[in-house]
Amino acid sequence: MSETLTAPPRGTPVAGAPGDRQPERTTSAPRRAASVPSALLAILQGSIVWIILLALWFAAAKYFPLGDNPLIPSPQRTVLALQESLPELWEGTLSSFSILIPGLLLATLLGIISGIYVGSSALLQRIFFPFARVAAPVPPTVYVPYAIAVLPTFKLSAIFVVFIGAFWPIFQNTAAGAHALESRYRDNARILGLNSHEFHWKVVFPAALPHIFSGMAVGLGFAFILLTVAELFGANAGLGRFVQYYADFADYPKMVAGILYTGVVTYLAMSGLEAIKRRALFWHR
Amino acid sequence: MAAELRLEGVDFSYEETTPILEKIDLTVPAGQFVCLLGSSGSGKSTLLRLLAGLQFPRHGQLSWNGQPITGPSLERGVVFQDYALFPWMSVVDNIAIAIGKAQPKARKAERREQAEACLVKVGLENAIGQYPFELSGGMRQRAAIARALALRSPVLLMDEPFGALDPTNRARLQDLLLEIWETEVPRKTLVFVTHDIDEALYLGDRIVVLGSTPGRLIADLPVGFPRHRERRALFDNAEFHALRESIAETLAADTLRQLVAA
Ligand SMILES: Nc1ncnc2c1ncn2[C@@H]1O[C@H](COP(=O)(O)OP(=O)(O)OP(=O)(O)O)[C@@H](O)[C@H]1O
Ligand SMILES: [Mg+2]
Repeated sequence: MSETLTAPPRGTPVAGAPGDRQPERTTSAPRRAASVPSALLAILQGSIVWIILLALWFAAAKYFPLGDNPLIPSPQRTVLALQESLPELWEGTLSSFSILIPGLLLATLLGIISGIYVGSSALLQRIFFPFARVAAPVPPTVYVPYAIAVLPTFKLSAIFVVFIGAFWPIFQNTAAGAHALESRYRDNARILGLNSHEFHWKVVFPAALPHIFSGMAVGLGFAFILLTVAELFGANAGLGRFVQYYADFADYPKMVAGILYTGVVTYLAMSGLEAIKRRALFWHR
Repeated sequence: MAAELRLEGVDFSYEETTPILEKIDLTVPAGQFVCLLGSSGSGKSTLLRLLAGLQFPRHGQLSWNGQPITGPSLERGVVFQDYALFPWMSVVDNIAIAIGKAQPKARKAERREQAEACLVKVGLENAIGQYPFELSGGMRQRAAIARALALRSPVLLMDEPFGALDPTNRARLQDLLLEIWETEVPRKTLVFVTHDIDEALYLGDRIVVLGSTPGRLIADLPVGFPRHRERRALFDNAEFHALRESIAETLAADTLRQLVAA
């Protein structure tokens, strides 16, 4: 289940990512002349799905079933609704981020620290893995109602749930990365007489960074999911709350605007993480 | 308490059923330059790992200056066959971290200065701030050598340290190593693994040959050429060629024996 949950954010095609570069095909044509059309071609190829979806949306709003269906607001009306709700959406973003950021920071910090130590110690693995193997796969959404009931404020319970959702993937990936430390780096650390702190933070941690970033990408996806789910339950502001609120009033243009806006925010957060990762891992390969 | 590196009746195997080293007895007096030869897979790297304290024998004893080897120590520097620098640290930081361990009192700026000096010594003055991924294989190997030298350990264990170098740089680093070894008081005890007989004869006081499956000593020859050796003079020396022949024959015989056994 968790696999399917995280698939959309990770699978989203990222326009202009380095992976999109086309291999050069022409051999005789001058390089510069060939690379401009190939970049253009890449942009065109990346736009195909967008163009089709937009066209479908225009068509659906106009003709399905007899035009002007309230359930399918036209793109024009949605843009208007978006414009109108921007201040409210911005408020919602701030509110959501005041949950997301503490939860994520805590999960990242604790996930990395515990992952580094557990992953590089056979004893700690024997102690914690049997528990982690059971606890980690539990869909964190099931904690939402209980957290809201137990913790004093909605904010605290939402932070807690975001934390739980993001913690496990970060912890597990970090531990896997620490466990997979190449033996030559371990030997090196021993030869140099590095102490435990230096070994864990100057060797294991940087070596595990590629794994850590994978864990953080999954964790970030989970955090958004849990955030919006938690907001459906009890928030009085926030992105998930915005969508739920206008759905209740059957104001579908605003609701769709909220969905699109949330998509953009999620995408930006993912791209931000990706940018940090590329900077941090410049030495990698 | 003798100042020496000593192996007594050392048996080693990774898995119990396949012995890798068998009954190795070897004493290296402090300050001696020993070259270890042997065909691929004979256990040279393994022997070095035992001396480094990264691996332990099933039987027998290893000691340095009468103290049993119970783990790695800054007294015994190592240059690994795959020159394992940390890829996430710049070249100079890779050296500086070693200096920080060898001289805990040195200040940060001091460490960096020394690290830079070490890099200049091996001809890497242009690579100081670069990262391992930006260097060629030979440059990385030189950085690994610089790091081992930075430790200033009395024992240096080197596993084919010049294997990835072009002939010019190889000769240059051989001379650098000799210069450091010859001028230091007291001299470092060096165990130097190589496949190159000429290199072993040029560098070593002594050549030890490891036979294969399982690894055991099949030859132990003194190399008596006076120090401050010159390549040209060695090549004109009849004794040099006789030694070279005899070692080549020993190695060939070992390979042949292995083929017959297989
Ligand atoms: N970690 C390991 N686990 C099991 N067997 C190993 C391990 N490392 C090495 N061996 C085996 O031990 C034997 C000796 O290996 P070693 O690396 O010491 O050889 P070597 O003499 O250094 O060879 P080369 O000249 O190719 O570097 C080989 O047969 C190898 O397959
Ligand atoms: Mg080897």
